[in-house]
Amino acid sequence: MIFTTLEHILTHISFSIISIVITIHLMILLVREIVGLRDSLEKGMIATFFSITGLLVSRWVSSGHFPLSNLYESLIFLSCSFSIIHMISKMGNHKNDLSTITAPSTIFTQGFATSGFLTEMHQSAILVPALQSQWLMMHVSMMLLSYAALLCGSLLSVALLVITFRKNIDIFCKGNNFLIKPFFFGEIQYLNEKRSVFKNTSFLSFRNYYKYQLTQRLDYWSYRVISLGFTFLTIGILCGAVWANEAWGSYWNWDPKETWAFITWTIFAIYLHTRTRIHIRSRTNQSLKSTNSALVASIGFLIIWICYFGINLLGIGLHSYGSFTLTST
Amino acid sequence: MSSLLLNPNRAFFPLSRQVLEASFSSLCSISNARIPLGSRPTAHRVVGFKPRASRDSFDAEALPESNTKKKSRNNNKKIILFGSTPPPLSEERGGSAGNASGKPAAEGSSWVFLQRAFKRVLAVLSNLPLAIGEMFTIAALMALGTVIDQGEAPDYYFQKYPEENPVFGFVTWRWVLALGFDHMFTSPVFLGMLILLAASLMACTYTTQIPLVKVARRWSFMHSAEAIRKQDFADSLPRASIQDLGIILMGAGYEIFLKGPSLYAFKGMAGRFAPIGVHLAMLLIMAGGTLSAAGSFRGSVTVPQGLNFVVGDVMNPNGVLSFPSLAFDTEVHVNRFYMDYYDSGEVSQFYTDISLYSLDGKELMRKTIRVNDPLRYGGITIYQTDWGFSALQITKNGEGPFNLAMAPLQLNGDKKLFGTFLPTGDADSPNVKGMIVIEDAIGSSGLDLKTDPGVPLVYAGFGALMLTTCISYFSHSQIWALQDGTTIIVGGKTNRANLEFRDEVNRLLDEVPELVTIDKNFNG
Repeated sequence: MIFTTLEHILTHISFSIISIVITIHLMILLVREIVGLRDSLEKGMIATFFSITGLLVSRWVSSGHFPLSNLYESLIFLSCSFSIIHMISKMGNHKNDLSTITAPSTIFTQGFATSGFLTEMHQSAILVPALQSQWLMMHVSMMLLSYAALLCGSLLSVALLVITFRKNIDIFCKGNNFLIKPFFFGEIQYLNEKRSVFKNTSFLSFRNYYKYQLTQRLDYWSYRVISLGFTFLTIGILCGAVWANEAWGSYWNWDPKETWAFITWTIFAIYLHTRTRIHIRSRTNQSLKSTNSALVASIGFLIIWICYFGINLLGIGLHSYGSFTLTST
Repeated sequence: MSSLLLNPNRAFFPLSRQVLEASFSSLCSISNARIPLGSRPTAHRVVGFKPRASRDSFDAEALPESNTKKKSRNNNKKIILFGSTPPPLSEERGGSAGNASGKPAAEGSSWVFLQRAFKRVLAVLSNLPLAIGEMFTIAALMALGTVIDQGEAPDYYFQKYPEENPVFGFVTWRWVLALGFDHMFTSPVFLGMLILLAASLMACTYTTQIPLVKVARRWSFMHSAEAIRKQDFADSLPRASIQDLGIILMGAGYEIFLKGPSLYAFKGMAGRFAPIGVHLAMLLIMAGGTLSAAGSFRGSVTVPQGLNFVVGDVMNPNGVLSFPSLAFDTEVHVNRFYMDYYDSGEVSQFYTDISLYSLDGKELMRKTIRVNDPLRYGGITIYQTDWGFSALQITKNGEGPFNLAMAPLQLNGDKKLFGTFLPTGDADSPNVKGMIVIEDAIGSSGLDLKTDPGVPLVYAGFGALMLTTCISYFSHSQIWALQDGTTIIVGGKTNRANLEFRDEVNRLLDEVPELVTIDKNFNG
């Protein structure tokens, strides 16, 4: 009983902290700069990480199995992974823009997990025989970590595309407030970057130069994060295959979820291959290369969501543990 | 590991500095002795290296000195300006083709023609946009395979994709069945794309990646400050000694080569080799998968508790290369089948106690299997996959026990329903009076048997793929430095981690101690 209340408390704490933190950060960026709150984002994310981890641990203790057996738990784990990525990227002190992606992503996944859609999954349930294996921890956690990393990386690529084609978007939606959101986001990136660049060096303030710097950094960080995510995805898929061999006798069944994970893997392999410089002979245009790969990564963003969520909506196949119906029964 | 990948015949790559020091100590005495060591006690560990004197121990490719053949100069430039294309295939191939055709000149042009055709095919296959296109196509086909329901009877497709009302305006059942999309993952279209991808992988590895490795392994000192300044990252330290830089870089994990005023350092060479490993691992997995598809056996059986069966009777071959093994002659006895339950009544685990007997009655093995814990014997694996009821044991009014056979009833969903009937004798008597007590439910265990020769190959490929994907995350960084008077000019580049490299080198350069007094004899 104590664990359920503890879970409840931690869920609310984590969501509140991260909403407060994001609100503060948005205020700092857009409204007024309050110096004392500058590093509140870091501390807030650390607090969120601890509360989400505490939530997972208390679920683990109360149910007796690793907390990854249904969609709710996997979403919580996903938000945990986002906060882990945020903290790791800040650890190296690299002054990157990842926090713009990880913090909102955490709040979205955490919000969706704790929202009214999934209330019937909130209680920790027993584990079916097929999931009682050591491989559960390894396979599912690797897959979720990889989803988090790949989502971050592909969102950075989407940001890069938005910023690169901002002029076109401006012309396209002049007077149309519908597309305010994409370049609002770009504006945030832009201001963030401008501030951090100012801190480092003193440049002549050419707007194009800032834009170039920003796209370079986005491109670079998107590449690094996606490479990391790709490694995790490879390990996760292969762990899943070995587990399937142990449990069902064949390591690849062309199950919808497996197939879509493989499609995700293929798309990001294409991304990595579009970044090699071998085949670009005539056009050594850096920006062209980075736009190409950013396009592929953006497609990858959609594919990950289909793989993770869309298949669960169908609820068929061997991976049906994560399924849920949209109308709460 | 690096010793295998680097040229094994050459000792010039300093894998163990002690060895190198012993062999080159005489050559190095000049560069080592002149520097006032003083407060730098470990300077002697920085090994000087004079390739000129030992040029004859190199092969023709690996000459770093300045006045060598023009071809190696071009190749050296490939290291420095990596944005350019790899060594043009036709030039090298032309050389080797010329040599090859020089020998069997008498055998005529057909051999040469075949070789040229092969090389052209190789060049076409190793085209990167083609490979990307293939990967996209495979991804699209797989997506299609999840959308179209697989493995149904043709009637299903007649109804779902009717000719009168085609999906998306043109997709009728004719398309689906003709292209084999109802069994997408074994259809000729899909398998053909996979074979093409495998061929592209092999061609790319052979023509592009291996020469890149050769190029990356060759390195040269840079002797001019302009060349160093042209690097991606360049800086200069006004008052410093190149030995200090070498020591600091060594502390950061770089391998150092120092000759006179020039320094070359690199780190993370494995990051260049790993992509080749990735491709090879994928080829291994594909080979293993092909073997599995061609040579495996599968079988599925539901055995009531207490009964037995012979392995060979239930196994069906899967492909053309399936050969039954000796282990197929074992009998499998299901001794007991039972389940564990949670407090809520749901099943927590299924257990089957199995004994394997040889045909002459000797017990070979006994194990209790459960889901996720199969039995392995002689290449055959037995999995717990299903369960059922075979009979109900009842007593009526104390008489009995009677065994009533049960049969599964149709029910949609996850739950199962079994039914049986009680023979009452007289069809007209409406009531059956008496007490029926269910003594026991005899279960039957659903077992899957499988033998798969490709599994070791596939597992090896999996392990290699995981490892090489991790390793290829690392970045191959190279740093050149030149001592120009009391200034060091430093330049460097890396193939993956550009921004992090900049920060790292900035940090390292900040650590280089600044020389306060200039020694007059100090000329590097």
